[in-house]
Amino acid sequence: MAYRKSSFTLCAAAVLGLTACGGGGDAVDPNAGSEMLSNGMTVKAQIEARQDGFKAIGAEFKTINDQLRSGSPDIAAIQAAATKLPEVSAGIADWFPQGTGPESGVETEALAIIWDEPEDYAAKVNDFKAAIEALEIAAQTGEVESVQAAAQATGGTCKACHDKYRLDD
Amino acid sequence: MAANQVKVRVWDWTVRTFHWALALLVCAMWWTAEQGFMGWHKWLGLGLIGLLVYRLVWGVIGPKSARLFRLVPGPKSLVGYIKTLNDRPYVPAMGHNPLGGLSVLALLTSLTLQAGSGLFAVDVDGLFSGWFGRYVSFDTGRAFSDFHESVFNGLIALITLHVIAIAAYRLILKTNLVGPMLDGQQERPSVPDGHATVHASPFRVLIALLIAFAVCWSIFSFGG
Repeated sequence: MAYRKSSFTLCAAAVLGLTACGGGGDAVDPNAGSEMLSNGMTVKAQIEARQDGFKAIGAEFKTINDQLRSGSPDIAAIQAAATKLPEVSAGIADWFPQGTGPESGVETEALAIIWDEPEDYAAKVNDFKAAIEALEIAAQTGEVESVQAAAQATGGTCKACHDKYRLDD
Repeated sequence: MAANQVKVRVWDWTVRTFHWALALLVCAMWWTAEQGFMGWHKWLGLGLIGLLVYRLVWGVIGPKSARLFRLVPGPKSLVGYIKTLNDRPYVPAMGHNPLGGLSVLALLTSLTLQAGSGLFAVDVDGLFSGWFGRYVSFDTGRAFSDFHESVFNGLIALITLHVIAIAAYRLILKTNLVGPMLDGQQERPSVPDGHATVHASPFRVLIALLIAFAVCWSIFSFGG
């Protein structure tokens, strides 16, 4: 029976067709976010600036964690990164002005709930600032074990905020 | 067993163990990544690399049905094989058929890319990284992470295709591919001429295991 014989080929073609449709990213309007904020930045510039800011924090934090994971941590490298952490995150409390959420149309993983719960959000930002302050103090002591504990606590404050306020990736 | 069918060994025990251990580990890797259990993800990943290395070495020194180079099909054998898919009854190939061979090569290639990129991947917070994450910058590690995620999507597509193909062979071609992967035996009308016995020489198994272990040990020693 011709129909029956070709069913395997049909089935295989359907599978190939299905799997080929997996790709494709989310459409983001390239012109979105041109509105001006009260701080003089456009929405888009603000979102990109904070993304760069978080990347800078991630890079410094990675330096510390890399050293802690290596067999012989370079305490000078840890101290340098721990000093830079408060610098690169200095403006963090102002990185999320009203209007820079997902509703802006700019690609962002920030969730709208940030602006629904401003007090909790601010408290979590303060936890982070306190944690990196403690981390810097621990780094200055030069004791690897204190740095380890402080870095772990810092990671906890990153996670606490990201679990709640950032799109799960 | 249907009348006039004979049982022939097509997969040695190490290939079967590899297959099911890999299936389990891939699920575990997915789950730990989704849950954010990165400590486990890293250790299971090391185990998965060990499995892959074993299989790649076994693909060179193992029995014929495990060899990987012979899986690269010529266009003639591929077209010839696709034509036999319309035969009724369909007679299964010994070991990998040309299409299945391509599928295995694609799966092993993407798994190798997946494991390799995972070694250098760094998470978005700079908190976790793969075994070799500390040898690359934050930005490079993030790029490896993005690649790790893309390859995973490709892997999911290939695994889906793999499972659907097995179901199609079962339902349309009346060929059970799962059974042979469990007990190594395939039922077929006759043993083809020149069929070599599928045997896992303990000495060769040991060599492949030692190489896999050495690779894992090196990653553990140089990474962190």
